[in-house]
Amino acid sequence: MKYAAIRISALCGTTIASLALASQALAAGIPAGTLIENTASASYNTGGPTQVIDSNTVSFRVAELLDVAVASQDASALPITSTAVLTFSVTNTGNGPEPFVLTADPAVSGNDFDVTVDSLAIDSNNNGVYDPGVDALLANGGTSAIVAPDQALTVFVLVTAPGGTADGQSSQVRLLAEAGTGTGAPGTLFAGAGEGGVDAVAGSSGADDDGVGALISSLATVSLVKSAVIADPFGGTQPVPGAIVTFTLQATVTGSGSVDDLQITDTIPTSTSYAPGTLTLNSAGLTDAADTDSGTASASGIAVTLGSVAAGTTHSVTFQVEID
Amino acid sequence: MLNRILVVLSLVLVTQLAVPMARAQDKPAVVLAGDVMVERSVEENGTTRTVLEAPTNVIPGDRLVFTTRYTNTLAELVEDFVITNPLPAAVVLLQDGDFDVSVDGGKTFGRFATMSVKLEDGADRPAELADVTHIRWTLARLAPGEQGQVRYFAAIR
Repeated sequence: MKYAAIRISALCGTTIASLALASQALAAGIPAGTLIENTASASYNTGGPTQVIDSNTVSFRVAELLDVAVASQDASALPITSTAVLTFSVTNTGNGPEPFVLTADPAVSGNDFDVTVDSLAIDSNNNGVYDPGVDALLANGGTSAIVAPDQALTVFVLVTAPGGTADGQSSQVRLLAEAGTGTGAPGTLFAGAGEGGVDAVAGSSGADDDGVGALISSLATVSLVKSAVIADPFGGTQPVPGAIVTFTLQATVTGSGSVDDLQITDTIPTSTSYAPGTLTLNSAGLTDAADTDSGTASASGIAVTLGSVAAGTTHSVTFQVEID
Repeated sequence: MLNRILVVLSLVLVTQLAVPMARAQDKPAVVLAGDVMVERSVEENGTTRTVLEAPTNVIPGDRLVFTTRYTNTLAELVEDFVITNPLPAAVVLLQDGDFDVSVDGGKTFGRFATMSVKLEDGADRPAELADVTHIRWTLARLAPGEQGQVRYFAAIR
């Protein structure tokens, strides 16, 4: 009878454990080190009472599968003027906790230009956005903290563009993640190196993976064209004293992105005098005084502050002088 | 069958009466021997074949073969011979076979194709291999000295 009581509790234990585990769908699989045991039992009779017997229990532990997946998290090529931050996910697709060696390679075949990798950073606050001073920096080639199975790290790659690139040129940066335990062809064995001393085995990824993030050079260029129209007091176009000269300064921003702090200045030519109240920007009048509008003008010159100007736009400034 | 045994066992516990049921003790008529192997692909001379190896370096997704060998060691007929194998929680059955299964932790058994699982909303859905918790083989009788084996294929979850 004691046997019977033990048997029932053992069966119940198995049932509960199996149901609980079955509900945990793990993409990376059963955790490394899990003990798997199998015991069959049989009942029969030989004419007398029913007999119950158990088989021996066969058991083994699940080895650690080393696998990783790297993917760029940027929806499209990032515009880069001087610096950019590429975003990658590094997912532990193995079944054991594992740190990863992270290496960003900016020299990808086919690049129009190669950026400089300033640093890597781990998204410490898990908001998906690089926060300087908050997210922990990691030297390129450094090792991440331990990543649990099925968990992902967000890794930022901080890059600086080289000089001399042309607008629209493209570049890629490759981020490589390698299992801290080691890498190798699928099936490569690392005896005893797995979680809890089980063997570790390189999975289908070879225990490493890489992903590429794309950059596109975004450079805006300003061209400035100055022209003059003369109207003399006699209805002609001769540069005689008393003639009014209308200067037009046309700033055209080409390329992509924008230029910052754009300011157009000009001096009043000698032997001419600024005609007060004639300063305009895009055909709208600006006061001469230094006030809330973007322009100032005086006897010595004019200045119009445009600030940040998007590529693909043209702005024209006009002012008039009278020939002395 | 197992649920019947459990019911019987419960009754025994409650009543403390000697229902014909006993633990095989000194010399069991039947001996069970369990074994597990992992399937590996081996490439030889450009062809790939599957071999069975001892379960080392087993990782999620690996295919396993669990075998139970039985031997009737007596010179008498063994009847109502039933082998029950609870699946380890970490494995999932890979294929149906000539056996009954349970999808409710061993409470009820039946052919896999006939089994269903109760959903939270009360509806039933056909059982999937991943639902199987127990396997049961019913062999009716073993002749004196008869031996054989049963096995099932499973993969590490």
